[in-house]
Amino acid sequence: MRDDTIREVEQFLYREARLLDARRFDDWLDLLAEDIKYWMPLRSNRYPAYSKAISILDGSRYEEGELSGEDDLAIMDEDKDSLTRRIRRLDSGMAWAEDPPSRTRHFVSNIEVEPGSRESELKVYSNFIMYRTRGETEQDFYVGSREDVLRREDGQLRVAYRKIVLDQTVLLAKNVSNFF
Amino acid sequence: MATMQMASLVDTDNGVINPRIFSDEEIYQQELEQIFARCWLMLCHETQIPNPGDFLTTYMGEDPVLVVRDRSGKVGAFLNICRHRGNRLCRADNGNAAAFICAYHGWAFSNDGSLQAVPNLQDAYYNELDQSQWGLIPVAQLDIYKGLVFATFDPNAPPLLEYLGPTTWYLDVFFDRREGGVEVIGGLHKWQIPANWKMPAENFCGDGYHTGWSHLSAIGSGFGGSFRSSPSRAGAVVSPANGHCIVGLGPDDPSDPAVPEIIAYEESIRDEVAERMGERLRLIRPHAGTIFPNLSLLRSISRTFRIWQPKGPGKTEIQAAVYVDKAAPPEVKEAFRRTAIRTFGPSGVFEQDDMDNWEGCSMSGRGVVSRRHDLNISMGLGHASYDEELGGMASDYRLSENNHRAFYRRWSQLMDSNDWPA
Repeated sequence: MRDDTIREVEQFLYREARLLDARRFDDWLDLLAEDIKYWMPLRSNRYPAYSKAISILDGSRYEEGELSGEDDLAIMDEDKDSLTRRIRRLDSGMAWAEDPPSRTRHFVSNIEVEPGSRESELKVYSNFIMYRTRGETEQDFYVGSREDVLRREDGQLRVAYRKIVLDQTVLLAKNVSNFF
Repeated sequence: MATMQMASLVDTDNGVINPRIFSDEEIYQQELEQIFARCWLMLCHETQIPNPGDFLTTYMGEDPVLVVRDRSGKVGAFLNICRHRGNRLCRADNGNAAAFICAYHGWAFSNDGSLQAVPNLQDAYYNELDQSQWGLIPVAQLDIYKGLVFATFDPNAPPLLEYLGPTTWYLDVFFDRREGGVEVIGGLHKWQIPANWKMPAENFCGDGYHTGWSHLSAIGSGFGGSFRSSPSRAGAVVSPANGHCIVGLGPDDPSDPAVPEIIAYEESIRDEVAERMGERLRLIRPHAGTIFPNLSLLRSISRTFRIWQPKGPGKTEIQAAVYVDKAAPPEVKEAFRRTAIRTFGPSGVFEQDDMDNWEGCSMSGRGVVSRRHDLNISMGLGHASYDEELGGMASDYRLSENNHRAFYRRWSQLMDSNDWPA
């Protein structure tokens, strides 16, 4: 992967993080492709099949995967329309989870860039820490990884796919009212 | 054993309760004994453990519980605790197992709870350990109603059907309105909130009042769809028995999200459901409720049930599932899945706005001066009566805190008595 492409992707992800932290959500929406799938699956505690903590009764059915599938429940499973409506909601003056607003700080790291499945696309891996504080003493850490597909449209990169995996299984934050 | 008397803190005849019941550590400990170690609590839906060997771990009160379907297909539930040194036996959320082996010393328990193998049984225990006495501790009673698996630690608790009483018709509307009942979509929302478990329980009991204010932004941005913030005057809050509470809209009040697949589906099954559920569905459209103490139901915007797991007076773990009619076509199930994620759950635009309110309400009893002042659950006091057709106490108007009063009356009775008051 060319260095200037990697730099471009890094700058894109940092800019995106800055827009979110500055609550410039409409500007953030402009960075998302019209056909985006924005997905945060669930994670659960499971024994691997080789674990000696259980003797599996039905090995043919045993699933080791920690992540919920695309047909399963998820924390978020959004398209551009639902993300846009989530953001319009914030303008209502009655979106109580964000009123008063969260103060967020997104840290993005471990960025890897690979060719995408199409000429115009890049596959991008990253890790994130999103710190949220709110009100008097509330604080939450949302820590996880992302898999993005970035697509070049009219010379500009846009997020066409984003899978966000939190490391917690029982979420220790009282809600997820911010974006990643 | 009941020690503190709750009757002095809960006065449902006058519609006042004291905020201490949400934050007091001693009251919380008494709840674990009097409520959670006695009441029938929901463990899961059968479709979460469909096959022999399937298991999941959950809680009854703060007691960890392992729910298993054994080789014969029978569902059992046990304390998820190794009988040897008390270690947590199973550390996974779910899976499939013939046996569970403790990570500490290797005691092995079959999925029917029996102690199967003990390392060094011959040399260290001299073959003198009676394994039959050291199986997993089972719940006292377990029963399944329309796929809902319930259990109680109290051998003297009334049978499940008696405990639910006339609430069963309402459960049927949620979980058995079509042949085949419902199935749970894979995965559970699990998250912890800084609120007392009774706040969400009472909210689902009968709080139609908050919807038009707390959730107006979610409705206004198109997530509520045809769910109107001001339905007709029809509808009622109904408390059929034993602290169980149902919120009903008027029979013609729309409550479905504005999702074309869902609206078309609901229309297509309207006659079938009407036929199956009978006359009462022409009087009321049940759309939320709480089965005492900590199971809540919803079937309007989202089809979800949630268990409010107590984790201390000021902390609750929500375990929420999404269910769909088993007979629904795949594209309808997908529409319900997507809609549920966006409306209820940690990121749900309805539910995320509830948290600050439940947190704030739960904390008010911590201040010594604040707790001198009672809180108000008097809405509609004196404007409810027994309704034969609805099978329970019903409010005259759809907005009423009569269900709040029914919930706290039952809570107070069980807290103060070691019997099962009628």
